[in-house]
Amino acid sequence: MTLKTTLNRRRFLGTTAAAAGLTLATPAILRADDDFPSRNISVYIPTAEGGGADRNFRAFASVWKDKLGTDFEPGFYPGASGRVGYELYMGKAEPDAYNLIFGNMGPEVLNWAMQAPSFNIDDYLYFGRVDTDPGALFVGAESPLQSLDQIIETAKTRPLNVGTSRMAHPASIGVLSLGEATGAEFNLIPLGGGKNTVAGAVTGEVDFSVLTSGTVISAGDAVKTLLVFGENRVGAALDDAPSMNDAFGTDLPEMLSSRAFGIHQRAVDDYPERFETLTSTFAETFEDPALLESYIAARGTPEYLNYGGVDDCAAFKAAMLELGERYKPLLTGA
Amino acid sequence: MSGRDYDHRRQMGGELIIPALAVCFTLYYFTTIWNSPWTAQVSAFSIGGILLLLCAAFFIKTALLLRSSEASLGLGGLVGIEDVRNGRLALVLATIGYVWLIEDLGFTLTTFLFIAISITALGHGKNVGRATATAAVMSLAGWAVFIWAFDTRFPRGWFETTMQGLMANG
Amino acid sequence: MGDTAALLATAFTDTLGYWWIIIPTIFLGLIVGGIPGFSAANTIIILLPLTLAMELQTGLVFMVTLYCAARMGAGIPAILVNIPGTAGAAATPLDGYPMTKQGRGQQALAMSFVASSIGGLLTTLVALAAMPLLARVGFYMHSVEMVVVMLFGISLIASIAAQDMLKGLIAGFFGLMIGAIGTDVVYATPRGTFGFLELYDGVPLIPALVGLFAVSEAFIIIEKRVILTAKGEAAMRNPTWHATFEGISIALKRWWHIIWTSMIGLVIGVIPGAGAAIASFVAYQQSRTYSKTPELYGTGHAEGLIAPEAANNGVTSGTLVPLLVLGIPGGATAAIMLVVLQFQGVSFGPSLFMSNPEVGYGMFMAMAVAYLLMFLTILPLSRYMCRVTTVPTIYLAPIIISFTLVGAFVPREYMFDMQLALAFGVLGYLARRTGYHVAAILIGVILGPLLETYFMRALQKSNGDIMTLFSSTLGNILWLCLVASLILPAFLEWRRKTKTEAAA
Repeated sequence: MTLKTTLNRRRFLGTTAAAAGLTLATPAILRADDDFPSRNISVYIPTAEGGGADRNFRAFASVWKDKLGTDFEPGFYPGASGRVGYELYMGKAEPDAYNLIFGNMGPEVLNWAMQAPSFNIDDYLYFGRVDTDPGALFVGAESPLQSLDQIIETAKTRPLNVGTSRMAHPASIGVLSLGEATGAEFNLIPLGGGKNTVAGAVTGEVDFSVLTSGTVISAGDAVKTLLVFGENRVGAALDDAPSMNDAFGTDLPEMLSSRAFGIHQRAVDDYPERFETLTSTFAETFEDPALLESYIAARGTPEYLNYGGVDDCAAFKAAMLELGERYKPLLTGA
Repeated sequence: MSGRDYDHRRQMGGELIIPALAVCFTLYYFTTIWNSPWTAQVSAFSIGGILLLLCAAFFIKTALLLRSSEASLGLGGLVGIEDVRNGRLALVLATIGYVWLIEDLGFTLTTFLFIAISITALGHGKNVGRATATAAVMSLAGWAVFIWAFDTRFPRGWFETTMQGLMANG
Repeated sequence: MGDTAALLATAFTDTLGYWWIIIPTIFLGLIVGGIPGFSAANTIIILLPLTLAMELQTGLVFMVTLYCAARMGAGIPAILVNIPGTAGAAATPLDGYPMTKQGRGQQALAMSFVASSIGGLLTTLVALAAMPLLARVGFYMHSVEMVVVMLFGISLIASIAAQDMLKGLIAGFFGLMIGAIGTDVVYATPRGTFGFLELYDGVPLIPALVGLFAVSEAFIIIEKRVILTAKGEAAMRNPTWHATFEGISIALKRWWHIIWTSMIGLVIGVIPGAGAAIASFVAYQQSRTYSKTPELYGTGHAEGLIAPEAANNGVTSGTLVPLLVLGIPGGATAAIMLVVLQFQGVSFGPSLFMSNPEVGYGMFMAMAVAYLLMFLTILPLSRYMCRVTTVPTIYLAPIIISFTLVGAFVPREYMFDMQLALAFGVLGYLARRTGYHVAAILIGVILGPLLETYFMRALQKSNGDIMTLFSSTLGNILWLCLVASLILPAFLEWRRKTKTEAAA
């Protein structure tokens, strides 16, 4: 996995070049007890600008920055289902707590189970969960399949084609476990991104689709949600669809997308005070009512805001890896 | 096209470069999917297979033309002293330098140097003044659009940092 | 109905009232459209803080105008210096650039502006009138049908390669193979990436376009003092309005051609995810197929320029249809518009025309007004724009190289993409100098991944049954059309030959 060494040096130049130069010139040990943060914090976002993570990040960072007393500078590094952004972060960003990553612990960690990255996945950790967004199953407004019973019944006679944004996604696992629970047969069709997955269900390219419910909500009345792979916290916005466990008496974990801030393990080890500042201000952000307002203004789904600390995130990461390992043969064609 | 001296026979050496590259690339590509699931293989093997056949046909055609002495393996002047004379070599080198240096020197300065040097080289050094002026105008315009107005993540160097400082204070 | 008419009339006059925003936006659009790497979509993203702050109607007019103007702007460098500003204009230089070299750049620009404006305006009106119907197209064009549509585009390789079929096909298939770089569409297995993560999502189009067309062209043009032929240069020295009028008249005489090729664009545009590149390739291919003089295509033939330009502007109106009727954006720009408008509180989906009719009708009206004003503002400029062709190549080449390489960087902001563009530049140069058509390579690079995506989707849906490709009625009709359009030219040629022989 060679990444061009030249790829990312601009992160160290940029608008804060002078300040960075000064800070970097001082030996690390002398700075151990500095007034962190003394400059802007760079955030690596492994998806495209203008997407869901972008909106989510801006809404959250606009409140967090006041707690932390510094600005965040997002950098967008989309590609290879988030892989590019992580590789850059781990390979190029200085582990000094001034560089963070803002990713989606659901699909992105699941991805590591499918194909390991070039770095050790324990070399970074998520420390601040922002939201949890369960997957949902939905049909197009004009689909002949309008209820869950119809879907299960039909899928017992012939395999139904299910659109998903990509194979290694919690929502894909959701539908596979639905198949296991009911004996229905589903054939996953990766459609490449949320937009296409909605389009696939609406135009009848596939029989129905599964996606992160935030995206389903923003599709409005073009689609009808029938099932949530987790708790339906938004009610009518997801057509009052029942949860998987309620509908089928299963005992499955929620199939979640979950956005969280991550950091190099080395930064945590080398700069524990800085890390402490980050985690405590992160937690404070959740207590500020401004966060809710900011989410509503950005047209996010405030119901999905869900604080999680280092331990919650570690548990989530481990659960995703385990889930990925279990479903790997189905999701990789191996 | 360039007034080079062509040998009366068809110069096939140059024409073989693209098929040769195509064959090498296709074979490399095949090695990367050898153990992959069928979904990764099916269209690549069919397209690659056709490409290999087409290239084979071209190689056979070349061999036949060579045997009947209708063609030679000459490069048809693809590269030669002419490239030095008309400044193409200089332009290619400058372009490589541009891509190489832009990260360290920043967008504006590198663009200025690239345009100034290339125009001077292509004009055989007779137009240094105009080259410099053109380069200055173009690189400043580029800076204004890409960095100042659109704030793209272009590599920033000495010039951009200085300008930022100036504008922040002014 | 009366209500709708009144609403439309109000929307029209309201939109005209925004001329002060439309006209500057037209110029912005022409610039971003003309520089490879910039597009309406990423300009809206870059200007997001501004766009989000605009009030609804202003934002709408701004985005729609930018979209149309960028589309039209992409054709300008394609015609004048052989550099398509976006992939959607990749078929434009095939005939546009030869015209420029002959000193007819001004005519070519005028033709392209007329074809774009009329194509855009007409398809806007058709889209407005037939919106519910057009929105159904996406319900019938599924992966199987799209495989055939892609093959229409790809068959253009064979037409382009007419002079030396074997070399043309090698170029095209090499392009397809390069286009196959990246992870497979089902299980995301990396293929042919040389270990570069930046290639996992496939070969990025803009660096390929920049390298194959712009960089390699710059290396070639320095052999001559200017890009024009001697005769062309004489003509260009004294540009007159006459040339612009001549261009307008040539285009207007081909009104029927503009109409039907723009309809191809409209229909392809309404299919989510298809896009302007495939539309302009298909339009060019169809135009050539049904032409009485197919041999003139590629030499500076008017129809060869009109067809792709009318078609890619038809796409512009087309992509709005699924957005407005179904809430599904038809392309990248429509997707960004959706984000911005949602932020403004507009909720998309089938009920849009009930909840926010001013948005639905407003978008089309903005488009109609934008095309009208664009026509009036830029047509007079063609006389001045084409002066660029008289700039000595020693100045032109370095400027082209630096600004297009910069453009290669912009969409993803990876230095890697500049290096990739340079690599494609070398490949393009080798290809040009040894008689391989770079357009054939580019068609492969652009359409290859699309073809594979639809093909694999069709196979995946049918559990690997290849016969699924012949399982739909519409698909089979398209297959027949494809075969016909491949055989027809040969048949027409044969008939013409036998006729001339009989006459002789």
